[in-house]
Amino acid sequence: MTATDTPDQATRPDDGWLAAADEHEAVELLHELGCTDGLPVIVPTPERVARMVLASGLDGDLMLAALGPALGAATVEKVAVAAVMAGCLPDHMPLVLAAIQAVADPTFDLTEMQATTHCTAPLLIVNGPLAPVLGVHSGFGALGPGFRANASIGRALRLAMINIGGGRAGSSDMSLLGHPGKFTYCLAESESASPWEPFHVSRGFAAEQTVVTVIGAEAPHSVIAIADRDADPGGDRILNALAACLAAVSTNNAALGGGMAAVILNPDHAATLAQAGLSRADVQAALRQRAANPRSALVSLAGGTARKGQPDDLVHCFASPDDICVLVAGGGGLYSMVMPSWCAGPHRNRAVSVAVDTDQACVIPGLPGA
Amino acid sequence: MRDGINLARRGIPAVALVTEEFLPQSVFVAQASGMPDIPRIILPHPIAGTGKEAMRKVAESYVPAMLTALGRPA
Repeated sequence: MTATDTPDQATRPDDGWLAAADEHEAVELLHELGCTDGLPVIVPTPERVARMVLASGLDGDLMLAALGPALGAATVEKVAVAAVMAGCLPDHMPLVLAAIQAVADPTFDLTEMQATTHCTAPLLIVNGPLAPVLGVHSGFGALGPGFRANASIGRALRLAMINIGGGRAGSSDMSLLGHPGKFTYCLAESESASPWEPFHVSRGFAAEQTVVTVIGAEAPHSVIAIADRDADPGGDRILNALAACLAAVSTNNAALGGGMAAVILNPDHAATLAQAGLSRADVQAALRQRAANPRSALVSLAGGTARKGQPDDLVHCFASPDDICVLVAGGGGLYSMVMPSWCAGPHRNRAVSVAVDTDQACVIPGLPGA
Repeated sequence: MRDGINLARRGIPAVALVTEEFLPQSVFVAQASGMPDIPRIILPHPIAGTGKEAMRKVAESYVPAMLTALGRPA
């Protein structure tokens, strides 16, 4: 294979637009060129892209960022192409643009993250008043199929990471197996079901702002915990169950440390912890304290690469409580979720939050979804 | 690859060591970084975890090529 064999460089005509006889052929061409995620896409015709750009209220050639590893220019128009292909409504554009800006933050280490052999994908967490208005789902099955905004906003980011960032499996995205969240990985926090301030407020934003947070995350790991306010008034069962999953010895968090993780509490677990008198910060501090392994356990798996110290030393998975992003979502019941992370890259793949700019967006009469 | 590119940008002779499995990625990164011809040596895959003896053999057989790539007269 040579560099010029990459499809987008080899066969794309000079004016940047592809030609096809009809929609079916256009979709097949996009598949053939490696421009899709493997699923059918909406064909980004000039008209559809122009309407998406128009709805953003921004100039199409406004450059938001360079996305690695290709260092492709993420202009508003190119992001609009990804949003059209993903099936976004024009109203979704401000969220997609914020997601692009978030992954392009240098501390997110996108170039290295796209290239790693680890399985990691940006988990998009939406907070604030626009989330329910745009239909970003936070309840039962929020990370599963059936919710257009979750599916298409997360997919738009992925298609931008493929077509602008150049992340293609086996040639630039070297994830050995990937994970299903690399198709889409997006949900809202269930602020109404949370006993605490919204997640974005805990990260320094105002409640009335709509904010997109990205965190590099493995696939979700389920955590079963039976809440019992009589037998376990302090919520220790839940905390210990979450900490055990966070500290699973063969995760990067345990082996490498220094990274972050997401903890998605279902509303029942969150309520039990809140009724035990715990704030979100208390939960983060407790998880930081409990998510640890004796060094001997790490040495038995990783040998000389385990962090230095004595066999009985307790090796914490997280440097700070703030490295554990705690939010509330899903239906109420037995299960919460933990997403470990990659923990590498020059900045250790920090989570990044970006406020959605809603001042620029404009309503286009007669446009579906406008 | 990026380490090699970053060193070369600073004017320091560099050669990137890339295993066969990562050759397509090396081409991509070199191209994307604007240094498509950055010197590299293709090693067998895998190297990691193959044991000291195997690694030593690989090292010994590729050191001359590395030195040549770094500018030593052949």
